[in-house]
Amino acid sequence: MHQKEQLIADLSALLGPKNVLTDATALAVYECDAAPSFKAMPDTVVFADTAQQVSDIVKLANRYDTPFIARGGGTGLSGGMLSVQGGIIIALNRMDRILEIDLENERAVVEPGVVNLLLTQAVENKGYHYAPDPSSQKACTIGGNIAENSGGPHTLKYGVTSDHVLGLEVVLPDGEIIELGGTVEEIPGYDLRGVMIGSEGTFGIVTKAVVRLTRNPQAYQTALAVFETMDDASNAVSTIIGEGIIPAALEMMDSLVIRALEEAFQFGFPLDAEAILIVELDGIKAGMQNQTDQILEIFKQHNARKVDYAKDEAERQQLWKARKSAFGSFGRLAPNYITQDGVVPRTTLPKVLRRISEISEKYQIPIANVFHAGDGNIHPIVLFNERDADQCERVEHVNMEILSVCAEVGGTITGEHGIGVEKMDYMPLIFSPADLQVMATVKEIFNPTGLCNPGKIFPTAESYAKLGLQPDAARRF
Amino acid sequence: MENSRALHDELKHIVGKSGILPEVQIAAYTFDGHIPKAVVLPASVQEMQEVLQFASKRDLSVMPAGAGTKLGIGNLPQKVDIVLATTRLNSVVEYEPADLTVTVEAGIRLAALQAVLAQHRQYLALDPPYTDRCTLGGIVATNASGSLRLRHGAARNQVLGLQVVHANGTVVKSGGKVVKNVAGYDLNKLYIGAFGTLGIITEVTLKLSPIPAHEAILVADFQNVQGAIDTGLSIIGSQILPMFVNLSINSDFVGTATDNATDAKRPTLVVGFGGDPETVAWQLTECRGIMEQNGALGVTSTEGESRAHLQKAIREFPATDTDTERVIAKLNLKRTGIAEFAARVMDASWARDVQVMALLGSGILYLSMPVTSDTDFEGLANTLTQLRQSATEARGNLIVEAAPPELKQHIDVWGAVGDTLGLMKQVKNRFDAGSLLNPGRFVSGI
Repeated sequence: MHQKEQLIADLSALLGPKNVLTDATALAVYECDAAPSFKAMPDTVVFADTAQQVSDIVKLANRYDTPFIARGGGTGLSGGMLSVQGGIIIALNRMDRILEIDLENERAVVEPGVVNLLLTQAVENKGYHYAPDPSSQKACTIGGNIAENSGGPHTLKYGVTSDHVLGLEVVLPDGEIIELGGTVEEIPGYDLRGVMIGSEGTFGIVTKAVVRLTRNPQAYQTALAVFETMDDASNAVSTIIGEGIIPAALEMMDSLVIRALEEAFQFGFPLDAEAILIVELDGIKAGMQNQTDQILEIFKQHNARKVDYAKDEAERQQLWKARKSAFGSFGRLAPNYITQDGVVPRTTLPKVLRRISEISEKYQIPIANVFHAGDGNIHPIVLFNERDADQCERVEHVNMEILSVCAEVGGTITGEHGIGVEKMDYMPLIFSPADLQVMATVKEIFNPTGLCNPGKIFPTAESYAKLGLQPDAARRF
Repeated sequence: MENSRALHDELKHIVGKSGILPEVQIAAYTFDGHIPKAVVLPASVQEMQEVLQFASKRDLSVMPAGAGTKLGIGNLPQKVDIVLATTRLNSVVEYEPADLTVTVEAGIRLAALQAVLAQHRQYLALDPPYTDRCTLGGIVATNASGSLRLRHGAARNQVLGLQVVHANGTVVKSGGKVVKNVAGYDLNKLYIGAFGTLGIITEVTLKLSPIPAHEAILVADFQNVQGAIDTGLSIIGSQILPMFVNLSINSDFVGTATDNATDAKRPTLVVGFGGDPETVAWQLTECRGIMEQNGALGVTSTEGESRAHLQKAIREFPATDTDTERVIAKLNLKRTGIAEFAARVMDASWARDVQVMALLGSGILYLSMPVTSDTDFEGLANTLTQLRQSATEARGNLIVEAAPPELKQHIDVWGAVGDTLGLMKQVKNRFDAGSLLNPGRFVSGI
């Protein structure tokens, strides 16, 4: 106890008392991210303003043998920032400066606390944007995006965070400040930048990033199709991709989502539809109508009941508003929900969606689907009431079965939300003990004491037991 | 030769007679003046594991290779014992066109893969030199790329998953088979561009692209380099979305590959387009307009067969596949820094012989020059070192991608890696403790 008080005193001396939270009510805000089923109370939350401060905090944490975890917007969906072993949460929201914008080279240098959408807004009047656009882009930060290697609806054409980050300044878990990657396309040596991105805050704390900016397309065309069955909608997705069309986005919503959206926002979608596809093309205006016609034709071939496209920017924004509002409408369906994030080969979508509906039936747990169909990145929304113990138990089974289906068809258990604490139990579904051992080795190199964001990603003996596998495997990492 | 015969006999026990390259053919795998003692071609991952275990026991070095087109990249080797080539592991493992992904064994040649994909109007958007011979494993291990990286990125952006055999024989996989995946650490990135120093890639899963319905190239000559580069940057900054915007200086291929009367010695801008015919047509008009406005001396549009020839010539540009030995250096710069470095390259004493190709959008400048026994290698190394220093000051770098051993004696082909070296050395030590794989040839002696 004494040691903890001493640590708080040292942190206060370093940062000023107002930048060190210890009050239980204030700390409660930091006990979870946007996946509120998981909670853990930190010992303290501190606000850093510079890389040097982050480094000093990390060195102090090491001296007191205390875990430390970086936090951005708190919009994560896998409990990646949870202080599962207590310790210090280092809030980076004040490091929110855009340090440099270089449009000629299509680069920006930003601090980790810059909110994703604000970076785009800073350059949009010049005709540029920052391409990765997770649904939480109004609140999530670039630092968090880097930790999770975030995606978004437009990754189908533009790629994920790792494709848009060239260089990083990082405070390593021992406090050393180091630069990975750079400002140019290639740097000799191992791509440690690439390994840092998506390491879920377990390899160090990013304090600065060099990111790519992308020129805005000349034109967009956004179309919508209503289908009688999920199979038809899924097959339309495969046909579009198979025909050589790479839309900027290709999103699907199922009947449960459509109904929730209509109740909450009245977009005017037909309540008896089984699936809606939103497809967006972007690029050069000349010739775009040809591709739109081709897509509309594919929709018809797959029995679309209604096909429409946005006539102007206002209509386009309205369509996207519907898609991006989906998560806000689930409160009407159930008190709690968990968003799964599996990815499957596009051609298996009909089969996988059928299996999910069977799982929903089997456990009597409603599941809504709103997802990046073009990537095969499904987001089954598992709806339940956390006060109902029996439901919670069934939800556990639902989660495991959904992720098992994803693994079984050659997919993965997370496409953009990360493993965090939420999915560590399921890692053995897709990685052998030998694969995980290599990951553990790399973690040891960056984070030998394990103090930097402990208790994440790696399955435990219990995880193996839960999956009916030999728990001994977990000893290796 | 007695020793090497004994070694061959022992290796034959593992890989059989057909798994050993006959001694007369080994010369094809000579690099930096070293003839390997044996070239082994395992027919399975298991054979590969056994070869690695054997080499480890005997303390023999192993140089992973595909077709061997990039074996020359790297610092002078400490020792060259066994070249382990993946060329017999060359099948397509899984290909579902509507998924727009493919899984292949590492030894498949790029051209062979492209032929399979073309049947479904798809391709892998990577265009490194030696397309006809180089293997996917080699491309990934060296992160090789070409002009198409402007739109599609390099291997790091297109590899979804890998299977790798580590020096101790363990087979592991990283990534997966789907286009988005953040489960666990992104270890693909570690193996891509590691030049075989962390493990031997045996299987690769890749993201594919549709073949554009129509393609065309615009070629324009300019009075001076600055004019050509300014025009190129204007094109990149406009609404046009070219597949590549390359500057070529002193190259002979532009004149020979097209029918136009391009003066080979003049700076030339080569801009490629692909997509819907209507989209391409609009871009050609726009791009031609920008070129003419900026004082192009002549603009030629190339389509069909001659476009394919030109594209091939561009792709093969930095290749050393000729009788003349060449030094090739690659400068990674900000795109706005290309003009200054192009000018410096053309001002140097080698100006008469040097050929330059710059991928303007990507900020990459290749220079290629012939060398002979008369070449002053020390002087050449000094010039390159000065160029590297300036590049480093501009936060870029210079990598020597091809050079005879006489030059490598005077220059580190990679340049310094700075304060990340400690981490890199730890990675190497943990992945390949005995330094079995490609020892001493990667950055800072890794």
